[in-house]
Amino acid sequence: MRGLFTPVTKIRRQVFTEVAKFAFERPLDGEDFAYFYESSYRIIPGEVAKYRDSVFKERAIIRERTRLAMGLDMRPVGRHKNLTDEMSRAATGEKVLNLPLINVIPFACEACPTDKFEVTDNCRKCLAHPCTTVCPVNAISMGKTAAVIDHSKCIKCNRCLNACPYHAIVRYGRPCAEACGANAIGSDELGRAEIDQEKCVSCGLCITSCPFAAIADKSEIFQLVTAIRKKEEVFAAVAPSFVGQFGPLATPGKILAGIRALGISKVIEVGWGADVGSLHEAEEFLEQVPEHRDFLGTSCCPSWAMFAEKNFPEISENIAKTHTPMVAAAKRIKKERPNAKVVFIGPCVSKKIEALNDEIRPYVDYVITFEELMGLFSAKRIELNELEEEEFESQSSRDGRNYAMAGGVADAVVNVAKSIAPEREVQVMRADTLKECRKILTLAKAGKAKGCLLEGMACPGGCVGGPGTLLQIARAEKEVKAFADTSPYMTATDNPLEGLT
Amino acid sequence: MGKIIVEVCVGTHCTMMGAMNIIDSIHSLEEIQRELDEDFCEVEVRATPCRKLCGGEVNGPFVKIDGEEIQSAENEGVMAAIMSRCRSKNL
Ligand code: SF4
Ligand code: FES
Repeated sequence: MRGLFTPVTKIRRQVFTEVAKFAFERPLDGEDFAYFYESSYRIIPGEVAKYRDSVFKERAIIRERTRLAMGLDMRPVGRHKNLTDEMSRAATGEKVLNLPLINVIPFACEACPTDKFEVTDNCRKCLAHPCTTVCPVNAISMGKTAAVIDHSKCIKCNRCLNACPYHAIVRYGRPCAEACGANAIGSDELGRAEIDQEKCVSCGLCITSCPFAAIADKSEIFQLVTAIRKKEEVFAAVAPSFVGQFGPLATPGKILAGIRALGISKVIEVGWGADVGSLHEAEEFLEQVPEHRDFLGTSCCPSWAMFAEKNFPEISENIAKTHTPMVAAAKRIKKERPNAKVVFIGPCVSKKIEALNDEIRPYVDYVITFEELMGLFSAKRIELNELEEEEFESQSSRDGRNYAMAGGVADAVVNVAKSIAPEREVQVMRADTLKECRKILTLAKAGKAKGCLLEGMACPGGCVGGPGTLLQIARAEKEVKAFADTSPYMTATDNPLEGLT
Repeated sequence: MGKIIVEVCVGTHCTMMGAMNIIDSIHSLEEIQRELDEDFCEVEVRATPCRKLCGGEVNGPFVKIDGEEIQSAENEGVMAAIMSRCRSKNL
């Protein structure tokens, strides 16, 4: 339900705010988590169920979501465990996040049918009944009042659906599985969605597509706030898609001020890291393609890179080994402030997995989304509009800021390549969503991407369509572009890439 | 043809509770009016800062339609209120 505010969105945000409030207000050395017994009642008050059949179930779901939002595992459904168990372990400024990152809350899942054809009330049992005539496996017969489909015969060819003059036949599937480009969603023994962690690349699209809010990822807001309150020096690296996410009055400068008002010492643009990445990838491309490597894939989206690695191992060597912009930015901070903690703030769930990687762990301490950040603002009652604008001290180029949009990454790399070797023609192939990514990777595997630069993004429209965003994609694009154009540097080559002061 | 003024609070709390989506849905009414070929009144949307109504028992978003306050506003309620206002103004 990307781009639409539904009760699902509301519940998710209320949980973040609950956890954030506690994180900011609790006694720092306290071990009392009774607050969370009340949380589910604050979010779901009264005795009448609003969202589901039972208010008890609604609250039970909130409780598991709360644990996930604190970075903890859910509790087993069939065994006793206290809600607050392990919460003291989560009450630290260190990383506690572990796998699995993305979780199906089993009893919240309604076990939607997987890809099924059904005859609806629209059926008038007409005389012609073309549905039966076109069915290649004779799966449709005329019942007493309507056509009946024999599911054991149906081969899902769509013919009946197209033939019915009353649009009486529908095909419906699981929203989560349909959103998943990695085909990672199967069923458990009760028919509920189950994520195959081997196949999952953590793009997070299932989270926003489940209409029952049954899927959630873990969050690190609790640890981040604890670190801030323990007076640790925390730096934030903000992804370029942040512009416009917090409402029309929250200008980039005010958002920056808001993040600092949380107690964060300094904020840098991840776009700066994008510039570093563009320079590397352009060089790599010019050096290697097509003599040593058929093509080069961009590296900034970890889900795309993981997807290529898992599904196209033969060609995954061609994905650039450059650090993602997040890592480049974090490395720069840690180089100058080895003891500072780094939080990446972005639209992305995938980066949460990336930051669990042993190589990246030392640089990125926490990853939170814009939506989670909104929960922090709300809990701390920060009114962005009332703050004085602040400025990023070292800026990223226009191209680095445009990394937020599908097409922006390839453009940035091409622009650098052009400035180094104006005579070279760089062909671009690009895709957003993993379904589309699969297509271009299939072409590449068949040798049809010779000499190309391949840009892949897991999210629709690129990072502006990430699961952790708050703004509708088309608007977000406009905002990102407008902000990009205010940069004093056009391309990564123009950026002096100064260090921190 | 009258003009309807809709003030949508886009402070932190109201934005978090879906204010931007309400603004989107108000803009989407223009399309409907074109499709229905209906005589419509002009709707002016104003994004307003926090009015300090939040933080208590009542949730946002807070939306004012021609001065009339709606609490815990939802897309459907806001759109319906605007539509009916438009229609009565056009009578
Ligand atoms: S497209 Fe962007 S937001 Fe989405 S998974 Fe990739 S890097 Fe993350
Ligand atoms: S944010 Fe809307 S009244 Fe405060």
